Amino acid sequence: MLDWPKLRRLFITSLSLQALTIGLLAALCAKAVWTVAPATFTAFDWTAYDTWLRHRAPTAVSPSLTIVARDPASEERFGTLLDRALLAQVITVAHEAGAAAIGVDHRLDHASPAQLGGAASDALLIEAVHTAAPVVFVHDPDSILRSDAAILGHVVVSTDPDHVARQIPLLTMVEAQTVPAFGSILYDLSQQQASPATKSMVTERAAPTLVNPVGNGSLAVLPTIPLSSVWEAIQHHDDEKLDGWFKGKVVVILPNPMTQSPWLLPTGQSVSGMVAHIHLLNSLLTDNRLCQVGSVGRYVTTVLLGSIVTWCLLQFRGSISLLFAGCAIAIYGALMMTMLVGLHLVLPVALPLTAALFVLLSTTAWTHLTTGQRMVLLERDMLRVQQDAAAVREALILRENRAEALQEDLEAARSAAAQSAGQQEEQARTTEALRSQIAETQGQEQTARQQLEQLERQLHDLRAASTEAGAVGDALLDQLRNECRQLGIITQDPTLLRMFRDVKKGAKSPLTVLLLGEPGTGKELFAKAVHRLSSRGSKTFIAVNMAAISPELFESELFGHMKGSFTGATADRRGYFELANHGTIFLDEIGDLRLDHQSKLLRVLQEQSFYRVGATTPTTVDVRIVAATNRDLQRGVSEGWFREDLYFRLKGLVFRLPPLRERAHDIPIIAEACLAEIATQMGRAVPKLSNDALRVLTEHDWPGNVRELRHALERAVALSDGPVLTKNSFYSEAVSTNEEQRATPAAALPDSASDAAVLTCLRQHGFDMQVTAKTLGWDRSTVTQRLKGLCFQALVESNGDQAKAAAAIAGDPSHLRTVELKLRDYHGHLMSVIEPFGTADEALHDCKRRFKNLPDRHFVSVAHLVRQYFRQNSDLSPSRTTTLKPS
Amino acid sequence: MSRRLLLVTILLTALISQPPVHPSFAQSPDDQTPFAPPSESPPPSIDESHPSEFTSRELEDAATMLANLRGNVRLFPDHSEARLKLAQGLYRIGDLDAAIDECRVAIKLNPNDAKAHLQLGVILMAKQDWRAAASVLKEAVRLDPAMTHAHYSLGSVQYSLGNVKAAIQSYRQALELQPHFPDARYRLALLLKLTNRDQEAVQLMEDAAQGGISQAQFFLGNAYKSGQGVEKDLSLAIFWWTTAVAFGHQPAADALSKLRRQALSSDHKDRRRQDALGAFHAYRDKLWKGFPNYSRTDDSETLGTRLLKENRADYAVSVLLQESYALSDVAQLELAKLYETGWGQHLAPFDKKILTCFETTAGEGFVPAKTILARIYGKGIGMPQDLPKAKSALKGLSKLEMKPVLDELGLQ
Repeated sequence: MLDWPKLRRLFITSLSLQALTIGLLAALCAKAVWTVAPATFTAFDWTAYDTWLRHRAPTAVSPSLTIVARDPASEERFGTLLDRALLAQVITVAHEAGAAAIGVDHRLDHASPAQLGGAASDALLIEAVHTAAPVVFVHDPDSILRSDAAILGHVVVSTDPDHVARQIPLLTMVEAQTVPAFGSILYDLSQQQASPATKSMVTERAAPTLVNPVGNGSLAVLPTIPLSSVWEAIQHHDDEKLDGWFKGKVVVILPNPMTQSPWLLPTGQSVSGMVAHIHLLNSLLTDNRLCQVGSVGRYVTTVLLGSIVTWCLLQFRGSISLLFAGCAIAIYGALMMTMLVGLHLVLPVALPLTAALFVLLSTTAWTHLTTGQRMVLLERDMLRVQQDAAAVREALILRENRAEALQEDLEAARSAAAQSAGQQEEQARTTEALRSQIAETQGQEQTARQQLEQLERQLHDLRAASTEAGAVGDALLDQLRNECRQLGIITQDPTLLRMFRDVKKGAKSPLTVLLLGEPGTGKELFAKAVHRLSSRGSKTFIAVNMAAISPELFESELFGHMKGSFTGATADRRGYFELANHGTIFLDEIGDLRLDHQSKLLRVLQEQSFYRVGATTPTTVDVRIVAATNRDLQRGVSEGWFREDLYFRLKGLVFRLPPLRERAHDIPIIAEACLAEIATQMGRAVPKLSNDALRVLTEHDWPGNVRELRHALERAVALSDGPVLTKNSFYSEAVSTNEEQRATPAAALPDSASDAAVLTCLRQHGFDMQVTAKTLGWDRSTVTQRLKGLCFQALVESNGDQAKAAAAIAGDPSHLRTVELKLRDYHGHLMSVIEPFGTADEALHDCKRRFKNLPDRHFVSVAHLVRQYFRQNSDLSPSRTTTLKPS
Repeated sequence: MSRRLLLVTILLTALISQPPVHPSFAQSPDDQTPFAPPSESPPPSIDESHPSEFTSRELEDAATMLANLRGNVRLFPDHSEARLKLAQGLYRIGDLDAAIDECRVAIKLNPNDAKAHLQLGVILMAKQDWRAAASVLKEAVRLDPAMTHAHYSLGSVQYSLGNVKAAIQSYRQALELQPHFPDARYRLALLLKLTNRDQEAVQLMEDAAQGGISQAQFFLGNAYKSGQGVEKDLSLAIFWWTTAVAFGHQPAADALSKLRRQALSSDHKDRRRQDALGAFHAYRDKLWKGFPNYSRTDDSETLGTRLLKENRADYAVSVLLQESYALSDVAQLELAKLYETGWGQHLAPFDKKILTCFETTAGEGFVPAKTILARIYGKGIGMPQDLPKAKSALKGLSKLEMKPVLDELGLQ
């Protein structure tokens, strides 16, 4: 079974595959188009060849070729029709003079009339042919005279659809009979005369051969011996002359007057078939053949050129791509001419160039068609990689914990060994086993870490690719830019503009839109854009900041309440959802919503109905949901602080708004727009930004994005008097911010002795033990012991509530899941250690040995937990219910 | 074979003294046929009946004859015989259209007259209207299947139309009706040769050659030379060519001349030269077999010299000529004497045939002939003295060969 989605993905992502396919399709289209006008096609295809034939330097005539032709004197002497007896005499003389091969432009299709010797002349000719065997004649299906010594060859020339004769078929079928070409037979005979083992040309390859004419291809350009001169020499027994003409030569006798010239050569000359065959013979004798690419070769060349041009167009953007494509076509043209002039090899012209033209058109269309598709695929990839990264991160934590637990077991075993000499051997074995387990687990951890790094690299690459991918035409960009400006979004960034284009498309659909991005990146602007671009544009737009709503009033605010439903509810009140009926509701900072509120919101999203506080009947609304957050909801799902079902419900259309530092070239225009607005508000003339000021603004990181930029500008305008804002107007701001930023790491450096410092550092590094240890310059196990101690302390403080303890340690909810896993593991390990013991003291004794690296202040917590465990056990025995609250 | 050779030799020698027969007319097997059909290349319009060849007297006679014939037609307008005679007269003076009209009228008067059809067919052949001739001749054959000439003429017409098989069939039917019909044999032999049936062709060709058809003799000679259908035998080729030459057949003379040139070529290692010389020698030896009563007394003796000695005036000179043409120096010397002196009543001095023989063989490079010819020119034997011509006749000879002649002529 073919995996179509996989194939589609492979196709969309592979440029080479696309290039090859487009090249192939273009070749087929070109072929299809040219079938409509075959004559024009052929003429175009051979243009270069024909021009070259007309203008090249003259080619040589073989010295071993003798042509005996009629002349006025022979016309006068022998009349228009030649007596075959005379022809027989010329053949015999040529043979006796030692001709290598003899060919006669004569057909044996008729009996000699009585005035030309009748049957006697025919018999003389047959005798002469027998003597000079073999002699080549022109084939005719109705041959009357038969002789084993006569070889019949055709004088046909292939005509192309443009009525130009360029090729001679070496074999042709005449009435179910295969007939070889006149010229090629003579060549074969001459070669076999020189070396009898020579293979026949016809059997070698019977494909049509290009005629390589001497001069313009007429008979006049070939040296001929007049028939009357030959006759004179025969009459005067001038053997010397005859030897000079015929000895070792290929003799072609032309006894008939050349009346018809039905074949038009590429040189523009009309010739008879016999003359074309003589030119073929000459090119064979002088080994000056012309070759052409076969039909398969033509298509391969076409597909190749088409693919290369496509690749150039897909790989590069804009006019550069056209330049490269043009270069590829020009290189092909140069190659074609070089092959023709240098190697006498004719390459196709019309088909590749037409295919290239098709490629130019189709590739542009294809680029527009696939950009969106590629973006979608990249986003999917990013999501998948993120999920993988989260899973690996969890696995890493588990491995770390396992390694640490094993290390502790090892320590315990060591101390046990020291105590019990008798058990030393056994302990050593156990030690060895544990060591190997540690090594294995550490190896697994290392592998998981590498996987994580690799996945993060992929994610980075994909992000980079997604920002580069897809080019939208300049005109389209301009249009998008204008539309953005109308909606208050000021940008020139192609990525953002493309996103806007997608927003525009998505706005039409009823899908829920999720906007992600740092604070100040314009999430609300985009939410408004979604509203205005949708069919609900004329209805209400309600923006609700979820973080700003008090948890107690959450339901009342969002869903409304009935009069008297609670203290202070003096009248019926409609919630935001009801207010936004038929319109759009923008739920900002959705990531800060509490889990219980998340479930309530989820119900509204699922059912489009809710109960007002105190109401008994549900209220149904038609609302378009647009949500936004600056937090990573995916991570929230994996760490447990965001409901997965709500996440998927919100994730209809997801747009990630880039931070301002990633589109620094937008800063000048945003600044300009803001300045105009600020100046208007302040009633002042619009100040200009100096180049220095602009550079300072562009180089700044803007963690608060556009909002921060606007504030900076407001400050600068308020504090400056002149019409120009200089670098100094912003200096204090930028410097102070930078200094703050620089100061942050130094300030964050923890006091190595303080637990708070260690905790801060752990939080900063996402509870990654190795990285934290590296930052603090400690051993990893030391950091682990500190965290373990802190976890036990937190458990004691939270009175055994693991969730609460984890929240206290994690600080940031994004680390909650990690900390929770670690905490549960540490606690589980402690319980497994103390479980076998009967009393708290015994257990504590063992714990002291086991957790000897734990700081004493934290061991107090351990002791507290152990004692609490045994106390609970003794209280609830035999049910042994744990007092610890389940998480 | 030897008997056949003897017969042929006798026939040949008998014919040599007679004027050559025009080859364009086939030998008629019987005299019943009122009209000799044309058989070879020249059409009847150019035979002796052609107006251009008539003397004014003959033209007058022809006009008178035509007037008489027309008178007969006027007297008996419904008499087909009279019209056929008029047609024959018109045909003889070359008025083919009028002759055809008369024939057609005669056929209309007597539609079952096979001879009228044959006559019309022959005239149409002369006009080269092959299709019309074929249909008329077929009708003639239908009316009288035993008419040999109709079959023969139909064969010629069929060949001209390219129907070789039908032509062969017609000739075979003619031969079935008239086995002694050398022309039909020759024609059939030619067609069989053209269809690659060489053996049968040679057999028929030999019959025709013995029947005196010079073309057949020439082709038979060719067959012996190249070994087509028979065993290769160059001496027999020479024999048959010589026979054809006796009938005035130029291509045979050319073939012989070519063979003599080969035999006299300067390339002594050339195998063809050796073969040709051997063939001429064998031919001269074979001539003795025609005269079994005589046998050679010494190697230098030739049949001609022997017959001369024996006073065989009937054959001596012709045999000497044959031997001379077959490059016999002895025969040439003997002929040189006869040229100078003559032979009583049998041969006048300065005989042209002998001089032609010398000129021909000298031109082909035969040394004895050159010296003899130089003497004749130098001394003005039978012609005015012409020393430059004598000198030029000696061209190509070594000094040693030239010296005696030059001494005799006093040219040194």
